[in-house]
Amino acid sequence: MSDRLRLEQAAKLLLGVWMAGIIVAMFLVVPQYVGLGDAGRIIILHVPTAWITTVAFAVSAVYSIRYLWKRRVADDAGAVASAEVGFLFCTLATVSGMWFANIVWGTPWNWDPRETTILILLLIYAAYFALRSALDDAERRRRLSAVYNLFAAVTMPFLLFVAPRMAESTLHPNCAFIQGSHCDGIWLELNGTRVGQLGDVVLALQGVEQRGDLVVAQVEVRMPGLREVALLEPSFELASGKPADRPEFPGQQFLLAVEGVDLANGRVLLNMEAPGTGLLSNSRTFWTFMAANIGFLGLFIWLYRLRADVLLLQERLAQREVAYGLPA
Amino acid sequence: MDFLLEPAIAIYTALAVALTVWIGIFIFLWRIDSATRELRRRLDKEAPAEPPTAPHATLEARNGHTREAVSVTEPKGE
Repeated sequence: MSDRLRLEQAAKLLLGVWMAGIIVAMFLVVPQYVGLGDAGRIIILHVPTAWITTVAFAVSAVYSIRYLWKRRVADDAGAVASAEVGFLFCTLATVSGMWFANIVWGTPWNWDPRETTILILLLIYAAYFALRSALDDAERRRRLSAVYNLFAAVTMPFLLFVAPRMAESTLHPNCAFIQGSHCDGIWLELNGTRVGQLGDVVLALQGVEQRGDLVVAQVEVRMPGLREVALLEPSFELASGKPADRPEFPGQQFLLAVEGVDLANGRVLLNMEAPGTGLLSNSRTFWTFMAANIGFLGLFIWLYRLRADVLLLQERLAQREVAYGLPA
Repeated sequence: MDFLLEPAIAIYTALAVALTVWIGIFIFLWRIDSATRELRRRLDKEAPAEPPTAPHATLEARNGHTREAVSVTEPKGE
């Protein structure tokens, strides 16, 4: 056994132990969060798999560029393998997100901007695999799929990073879980735009009144599909300039908060907050999360290289069969 | 089996399930990895030095005199 092979084997064993350690930490080290309970632990799986999805699709695009440049079969195998592993991680991120959403937001699918864009991304890469399987001529298949893969990769940053941030508000972690980041919320006013949307919840401002040091907003909340309608009264403390009462959305663990007021014009800034805001500010959660990112990156590298090896071996066996009339 | 889902035990049950799934995936990947390496080694080893030859064909006249071949299948690689 060569030194390099021995090193690779040791790295794979280390990865196995590392990932097992992350699983243990996910259940026994990461603390529970008020309102989220054990659902908060899903973040340790969900976010790293989503990150590795972007890495995998980017690596796939690099291999496609190399294939178009040098026309080497190994580069095509690398592109396909990386895209397949990316697709697997993307599916894992989506399913774990749906699991979390079902517990915390009350329904597995909310058509939240980020949920919608990740679904589109999955469909774009599903089309890549469909394209490959539709073309019989190997050279043509490799060339066309490499070009398509570049187009797919161009949409990826837009779908994962830009489009969700263009949305006025989202249920997603940017707003709720990572301290320091926020969504801007929406301004509603009594004499102007009274109706707005936060995620997939429709809000209608009914009234704003001052009660001593508190400004109380009456907001009619309509859940998706008009499942439930409720009148909530979040309030804002003028002295501290911070939200006071934060009522829960019906059937969900998200809170409605008033983050700013403009009494002269009857305007209030409404936003949503989640229990467990600042999840990663806890050091145990943060380090488990970082370890999970490293572990999933290692797993991605192992998986895509293994898959590329399998694809190249399939290619060699097929050539052997054609050239020598031998069974594969 | 209900005791496995009691609040104090459930977290350990979930941990055991997750660990079992990961160990299963890891063993599966390890075996594919080994099989791939072995297959590649065998293919590298058995690659023949010379390509196989295709059959030649010679046409003969009916009266018994051998005549010049009019159709020959060239061996591969020549």
